[in-house]
Amino acid sequence: MKLFVSEGNPHCLKVLAALDVSGVQCSVQFVNHEEKVVPFLSRPALPALLLPSGQFLFSSNAICRYLFELNGHESSESCNQWLEWEATVLQPALLRAFHVAVLQGKRSEVTQVLKGPLNFFDQSLSKGNLPYITGEELSLADVVLWAALHPVLSEATLVSDEHKSVRTWFDRVAALHSCQSAAQKVLQGKGLQAMKSFMQRQPAPQSSQCRDSPPCNSN
Amino acid sequence: MALRELSSLEKYLGLKKPNKYSTQGDKKNNNGPPLVGLVTIACHLVKEAKRPELLGDTAENRAVVQQWLEFRVTKLDGCTKEDIKTILKDLNVYLQDKVYLAGNKFTLADSLVYFGIHPLLVDLAVQEKEQYLNVARWFDHIQHRPGVRHHLPPLVVLRNRIYTGRHH
Repeated sequence: MKLFVSEGNPHCLKVLAALDVSGVQCSVQFVNHEEKVVPFLSRPALPALLLPSGQFLFSSNAICRYLFELNGHESSESCNQWLEWEATVLQPALLRAFHVAVLQGKRSEVTQVLKGPLNFFDQSLSKGNLPYITGEELSLADVVLWAALHPVLSEATLVSDEHKSVRTWFDRVAALHSCQSAAQKVLQGKGLQAMKSFMQRQPAPQSSQCRDSPPCNSN
Repeated sequence: MALRELSSLEKYLGLKKPNKYSTQGDKKNNNGPPLVGLVTIACHLVKEAKRPELLGDTAENRAVVQQWLEFRVTKLDGCTKEDIKTILKDLNVYLQDKVYLAGNKFTLADSLVYFGIHPLLVDLAVQEKEQYLNVARWFDHIQHRPGVRHHLPPLVVLRNRIYTGRHH
């Protein structure tokens, strides 16, 4: 089994944190953003996990889920739901936020771009009133959402601090050694700027299409 | 669309509890808050029907199933005209030596990717479809599986290239 990642790619933050939390043994190789690791995909897709059977997983949440399952932690339905929300609602908003902040230099617009998803997440956390997203213990949902939000929430003043429950939860997860070491490996203490060359290779986000609604309503 | 897919899936699984979905697409869960999200609800239905093999029979196959379910909701849904070619091209290479998306058996991944790819194939001209023969073969196989197609009309796909030339 081999995990392929690249520096400055925010999705790689998820899998490195999940790998460390799960304790699964797996070799990790850092490659260039442009490296075509998965043979059947025409565009570079990282992170990628080469499975023992020779098959590839080519998206971060599927990789994280597999690493946790290897360690005996099958994800709950509530956890599944947060992973799907992260992939279908939060990620498109984050892509737009990274685009305006890293490529256009309009850091002041990030708060507005992320407002919908962060409001929703904040309300869910405060309603649940639990230390972690799905309960008393850390789950895959915490690792994935922490990693997704790390580039924007770890920079002071980038997002307005009105989401108190999100902040409290974020700091709790960020204190984990696995998370700190993954962030250091991928962003090297450079924050959003570390993502510049990665973002330059991403297609521009479709700004007109706002997918804030749950995925069931979007098609 | 997603609601009709879920209701087709329920019928396929033999679950007989109508009106389980609100217009918000929520699944009323007996033991907790309503579930949201196509993949989340579909996986829940499969568990409810006690058909865990549809989510993959080994840890690796379960991972590959989840990979394609994620592909469905992140790449297929809301894809642009330019994306369609890349998606079909990549899938065509992937399916070159495969009967199903994950492992050697039919899984939920085949069903949800089939539903997601149906609208893409409807718009393709015959000549374009010819470029994606492996996708066409897989698609035709899935649409002829008893109970899968349900709310969608069958599509005529070429499983073999009849003419060798481009113009006919």
